[in-house]
Amino acid sequence: MTTRYSSVAILLHWLIALAILALLVMGFEMTSLPLGSHLQFVLYQLHKSVGITVLLLSLIRLGWRLSHKAPALPAHMPAWEQALAHLGHFALYGLMLGMPLEGWALVSASVWNIPTVLYGVIPLPHLPVFSTLADKKSAEELLKLLHQAAAWVMIATVVGHAAAALRHHFLIHDDVLTRMLPRWRKF
Amino acid sequence: MNAVRSLAVVLSLSAFASPVLAADWAADAAKSQIKFTGTQAGADFSGRFAHWDAKISFDPANVAAGHAEVGIDIASAATGDTQRDEALPQPEWFDAKKYPQAKFEAKSFRALGGDRYEAVASLTIKGVTKDVTLPFTLQISGDQAHMLGHLDIERSTYNVGEGAWAAPTFVGAKVGIDIDLTAKKK
Repeated sequence: MTTRYSSVAILLHWLIALAILALLVMGFEMTSLPLGSHLQFVLYQLHKSVGITVLLLSLIRLGWRLSHKAPALPAHMPAWEQALAHLGHFALYGLMLGMPLEGWALVSASVWNIPTVLYGVIPLPHLPVFSTLADKKSAEELLKLLHQAAAWVMIATVVGHAAAALRHHFLIHDDVLTRMLPRWRKF
Repeated sequence: MNAVRSLAVVLSLSAFASPVLAADWAADAAKSQIKFTGTQAGADFSGRFAHWDAKISFDPANVAAGHAEVGIDIASAATGDTQRDEALPQPEWFDAKKYPQAKFEAKSFRALGGDRYEAVASLTIKGVTKDVTLPFTLQISGDQAHMLGHLDIERSTYNVGEGAWAAPTFVGAKVGIDIDLTAKKK
């Protein structure tokens, strides 16, 4: 019985982790830049592309997770810790899938009506309904607020997730962290 | 009306044994360009309309009787940036579905001396028609003519960039139109 995550799960985990960090940095940067600057525009477009990438990677990851059993949590973990871990993972999946979708809705409802072209190459249509709302301005403001709030929930969840993994590694000395680390094979 | 006027010009010219139909020109699309320039987020951009057609009637000896009509396929606008090109046909910008064609109609010409002329014209974009004066230079050699013109317009005049885009925060208010036309005498 293997106690490690599969290579596919590990690869997806770290790709998504990197993308989420990039999205957070871009998100805070682009919303604090002066309206109309070139960098701001570029960051917004890249943020949309990376966000949709996270959505796709997360869908693949969820499919993989559902079809490939993840290693069980260590037996020495108390029930409440196990429940918290599951809750945290559940929240992360929810955010990984929900935030890009919600962001897509926000872009679609935006009064700016800026087309999304993934990495400047692949056009992505607006979501139906949101793009034809009667009061786009209010919808955009509400969705923007929700996206910002979700970003803070994401930060809190990621910090909790990383702190728990480090605690397992350095304080409890189990393999919870290492089984998600890439294993550099020796040839 | 204009056809009648053109015909009258042609007939009067033939009366003086000038070459028949000397006033009519056929644009060479391969050697001609209708370009536009603007600014977006502080950076310059330029684009061109790939599809258009022109009916030109112009005689340097009788410029006032000249006439030209250029129909521009709005959806053929391309700036080399997919993101921007996806935006251009949207209702906020050209609303290409509702207004598929822009029209430039020169109703008369004025000679300004040398190779300089101006067209007294109307420009229709997005259903809005305004009078414009297009200054241009024209060189004719044999049966070939080369015309260069530039016109600055305010995009707000034609409601190009509506709603949140109306303010020039992201996209500059001024848009330049450059016409580089090569035509052959018919």
